[in-house]
Amino acid sequence: MNALAHPIIESTELTKDFGRTRALNDLNLKVSDGEIHGFLGPNGAGKSTTLRVLLGLIRPSSGTVRVFGRDPWVEPVRARRDIAYVPGDVSLWPNLTGGEVIDLLTGLRGGADEALRRRLITDFEFDPRKKSRTYSKGNRQKAALIAAFARTARLYLLDEPSSGLDPIMDAVFRAEIQRVHQEGATILLSSHILSEVEQLCDRVTIIRSGTAVETGTLADLRHLRRTRFRVTGLTEPDRLASLPGIHELSIDGTSAEFDADAGDVPALLAGLSALGFDGFSASPPSLESLFLGHYGQATPEMQ
Amino acid sequence: MSGLLQLVRFQAHRDKLVLPLWVGGIAVLGFATATAVATQFGDTPSRTAIITVATSSPAFLFVRGVPDGTSTGAVVFFQGYAFTAVLAALMSTFLTVRHTRTDEELGRAELLGSTPHWRSAPLIATLVLAAAANLVLAGTVGAGFIAAGLPVLGSLMAGAAVGSVGLFFGAVGAVVAQAMPSGRSANGAAAALVGVSYLMRGVGDAVGTPGADLQHVTSSWISLLSPIGWGQRSRPFTAADPLPLLVLLAAAVLLASASVLVRERRDLDAALLSRRYGKERAGLGGGSLFGLTWRLQRSTIVGWCVGAGVLGALAGAFGPIVRDAMSGSSALQDLISRLVPGVHVDAVDLFITALLGIVGVLAAASGIQAVLRMRAEETEGRAEFLLSTPQSVERWLGANVLVAAGSAVLVTIAGGTAAAVGLGLSGTAPQRAGYLLPAALAHAPAAFVFLAVTALAFSIAPRLSVPLGWGILAVSLVLDQFGDFFGVPGWLVSLSPFRHSSAMPVEDFNVAGAIALTAVATALALSSVARIRRRDLTA
Repeated sequence: MNALAHPIIESTELTKDFGRTRALNDLNLKVSDGEIHGFLGPNGAGKSTTLRVLLGLIRPSSGTVRVFGRDPWVEPVRARRDIAYVPGDVSLWPNLTGGEVIDLLTGLRGGADEALRRRLITDFEFDPRKKSRTYSKGNRQKAALIAAFARTARLYLLDEPSSGLDPIMDAVFRAEIQRVHQEGATILLSSHILSEVEQLCDRVTIIRSGTAVETGTLADLRHLRRTRFRVTGLTEPDRLASLPGIHELSIDGTSAEFDADAGDVPALLAGLSALGFDGFSASPPSLESLFLGHYGQATPEMQ
Repeated sequence: MSGLLQLVRFQAHRDKLVLPLWVGGIAVLGFATATAVATQFGDTPSRTAIITVATSSPAFLFVRGVPDGTSTGAVVFFQGYAFTAVLAALMSTFLTVRHTRTDEELGRAELLGSTPHWRSAPLIATLVLAAAANLVLAGTVGAGFIAAGLPVLGSLMAGAAVGSVGLFFGAVGAVVAQAMPSGRSANGAAAALVGVSYLMRGVGDAVGTPGADLQHVTSSWISLLSPIGWGQRSRPFTAADPLPLLVLLAAAVLLASASVLVRERRDLDAALLSRRYGKERAGLGGGSLFGLTWRLQRSTIVGWCVGAGVLGALAGAFGPIVRDAMSGSSALQDLISRLVPGVHVDAVDLFITALLGIVGVLAAASGIQAVLRMRAEETEGRAEFLLSTPQSVERWLGANVLVAAGSAVLVTIAGGTAAAVGLGLSGTAPQRAGYLLPAALAHAPAAFVFLAVTALAFSIAPRLSVPLGWGILAVSLVLDQFGDFFGVPGWLVSLSPFRHSSAMPVEDFNVAGAIALTAVATALALSSVARIRRRDLTA
């Protein structure tokens, strides 16, 4: 794998100021050829700003950006030639129908694959004859997704693409992601929906206040975090607190829930056995806990 | 009740910049007119002279209104009323549409609709705000006239006339907003009604009956079809009659109640004129920037063309009637030959020239509006989506500027053609009909300058492009129409592009002027294309 040597997207110390507000602050982002890369952060962290920089729509204040090895601000049209983009807040032309919007956007990229267009409209259960002003948020998102997937691209920039979709449509969306992924495309998926990123992505970059605070595979990131334990039928629940490496303990009668750091798990299991219990479950660290750890509210002591 | 007041305060807060600008601008125009009349036409003989000239010129009557005596106040009202009334009407329609249909279209109304107010509360709040704004406007305009030294009663009455027209059109805007599906189409339709109102008043005044003393003109019944005509009939400085204003207010209350009734009975987002379904596939050009731009602007351009066509048809068809009306008065004929010795300028030509001049203004406005469409596309996020495709921002700007220029040309063609057809059908001087299309087209180069300036503003200072585009048009219009009258220095007046258009058929075609305007417009447009890449898309 020398994909990392030739990344599709590479930003180095990317900074963007809007007046006195610093939207991006020395952001480093590297997306390799053929990967599905999760771009995770809360609202206002700078995800959409980053995508706009990648599209060459706004100019970085400092730092460098390369998309397909080109500077998107200097050569925006060349950089965008192989990109399909789905904005976070899809705004369509009110008096154009959904079908016309799809034809417009694919037409501007060189024309749709007709068979693909038909299949996507069926799969997404989309009515292309309705005027855009009558579409709900989910339907506007579908129009943008169909337009993006109806013509093959090398890079898909998707800004919170499934936030308006119901679970069934979300499954259709995932299937499309898998399809273009298998065809070798690179996908940058921005999201604050953790399960979405967790299920789809190979690697993740977590962004906070315009800075990438963490990057790596999900496995890489998991070692940082705690496992969640649920134990029932404890004979001596009061003695739990004395065990090593327990956090966020809550006891309810003879049941208890708590988190534990990965390194403390062997000693903890031994201690639990000594205490005696009848039921036990452990869930792997969810991205939720990763996320909350980074943004603070739930586990402030981890900062 | 307190909930309603809260809504009024909230809407007023959103307008805290816009409304004072409108009210202040209109009042300043009124005050400037009053002081200019007082200084330039300080004595009765000079006022009598200008009023006599106006009485003898249907074009003058069409554009300004009917003279009503030679007192300073009467001359001020004659000079300033029609324009101020149009501005008050536009201020009010924009106000009501902004807080009703536009809010609904953008989803803000839904958010408010979830709060415990009854359905039409936001609309009633808007109507209250419109009433308050026009009350303040009436007071400010009246105060301006009093400050300029005009009689108190007449000043207040003149202010009330302007405010009544404003209030009436505020209610019109509220009704139109119930029917139209989008803020943009509601604004367009309401502004068109303001235009029709101005036209009907113009026609009614132009074919009115001049008094024997040549100091009064009595409007024909046609001007009764126009709320602006009703306001004029209050004759504030001569026979102060509040009855026409009371009629306007009653009509406003009726329209406002109608809008509230409709709002109570319809769903949120429902509109009378809204199509839910359309074509499944894009037509020819539906996959190109140029095709999209044309598609988005098509109906607006048709609207401007219809406006120009109506104006042109009026010019052609009414020209001969105007002459007939005048040839009945030998005193008028004498006067004209005394005023314009040597050169014989036909009354029909003067009338047509004035109306084609307005067609030129419409062409400029259509171009500015077409360019400013880009700003809406940018702020509403569609430009970002569009420019995520491998299309350059220069192409996008270029397509929009070309469509804007095409719009300006089409508007002049519509006006000129309709004028020629009207003149031809009326059966007088058909040989001159062929001259009218070029006469209208002669106004296109000035329109190019306006739209190119707007494009440059969009490239360099996008946030200011909307006020700049319309502001430059308004200032140029005031300079052109009132510049000499206000005693503005000549070099400043000559900054108005309208000054360099040829007022055909009265004037000859000014080749150098047309070339210069086109060259300036081209240079501005090219620099806007060159500058657009330097800035962020600020969506």
